[in-house]
Amino acid sequence: MLDPSVVMTVTDAVLAQAEPQAAITGAEVIKAGALIGAGICMGFGAIGPGIGEGFAAGKACEAIGRSPENAGLLTRTMLIGQAVSESTGIYSLVVALLMLFVVGA
Amino acid sequence: MDFSPETWDMLGRYVGAGFALGLGGIGAAIGMGMSAGQAGEAMMRQPERHGYLLRTMLIGQAVGGSPSIFALVVGLLILFLPSDAATSGPIFAAAMVGAGLSIGLGCLGSGVGCGWPAAAACDGVARNPRRATPITSAMIIGQAVAQSPSIFATVIALILLFIPLTSTGVVAVGIAIGAGLAMGASALGPGVGSGTTAGGAVRGLSAWPRSQAITIRTMLIGQAVCQTPAIFGMLVAFIMLFTLQDMEMNIIGLAKILGAAIAVGLGGIGPGIGCGMVGDTSCEATAEKPVNDALLLRTMLIGQAVSQSTAIYALIISLVLLFVI
Repeated sequence: MLDPSVVMTVTDAVLAQAEPQAAITGAEVIKAGALIGAGICMGFGAIGPGIGEGFAAGKACEAIGRSPENAGLLTRTMLIGQAVSESTGIYSLVVALLMLFVVGA
Repeated sequence: MDFSPETWDMLGRYVGAGFALGLGGIGAAIGMGMSAGQAGEAMMRQPERHGYLLRTMLIGQAVGGSPSIFALVVGLLILFLPSDAATSGPIFAAAMVGAGLSIGLGCLGSGVGCGWPAAAACDGVARNPRRATPITSAMIIGQAVAQSPSIFATVIALILLFIPLTSTGVVAVGIAIGAGLAMGASALGPGVGSGTTAGGAVRGLSAWPRSQAITIRTMLIGQAVCQTPAIFGMLVAFIMLFTLQDMEMNIIGLAKILGAAIAVGLGGIGPGIGCGMVGDTSCEATAEKPVNDALLLRTMLIGQAVSQSTAIYALIISLVLLFVI
């Protein structure tokens, strides 16, 4: 079993490296949380749109391979589908920017 | 209770080596299993071709196993690299953990990725044994390129192992772990994606072997685009390792570095996998009808560029965290 006191000792020792400003204020913790939160928000938020847009483009390539005469229609549909899948990525970007410049400022 | 520098060293080495081999072994094991599974299925259909199939399976597994060998070498270095009194302590421990994260996550993606071309080659050799040589060579080229994200991760891990950090304090701890996480996690998706692209090309060439040159060209372009998120991760890792000496030495500096690493690292996973899906179908369609190659290449590049957009957002957020805020 992991002894909680060992974890506390490791955490304290890592934070003790922050000297000479040893005392950490609440405002600093909140700002640090907002900055890490922005990273987590954009990092996880980028996974879904990346896979989803790739899926749409993959199917479009497959369809163009079968019927190249419809390439224009298929490319247009692919781009519309991708633009819609992109929306959650843009939400993540907006929330990350809010945390960087509004909450964490 | 205060730890001696030797205790810190050992703590960092054991955790780092655990990440290196624990994560780094997953990918190659899955990839080799995919290859063996497909070879077994093909042998059931065509038992008289077992000789060809066993050879192809073993070549695919041997080449696909190299990411786990990188992880083994770096893991042993993390355990046994000599350290002196000047470098021992929490920062050395963090560098070991960072090297372990970089190599472990980086080799996971490439190991899984190498499984797709190997599995497709086993299937193709069973259907078309006279074409065993070109199918095998396309598989080896695809696997070699799919390994480059794991090579980027090896480079960052070796830098963390052999070049002592110039920063001090809590920021150095953050830089060591952050650079490892940024590189390792961002190499995960591109490793898988380059592998699926190679899998599509080998599958296409097994069925339509005449279009070898054009299919391998499309495969290499597709794989190169898949690797962009890993290059973003490596860029952020280099920025962290070599240009952040004047970062403020407090918890906010630590939060900026970890936030930047999480953004660019995790943000590379989805786009890497997504670009691989585009490359997969595009390569197969190019092999089937090489006459459409210009149209397919164009569609593949547009599709991949749009899938990359979230990786670019993640890069922007991490650069803003490091330099603007």
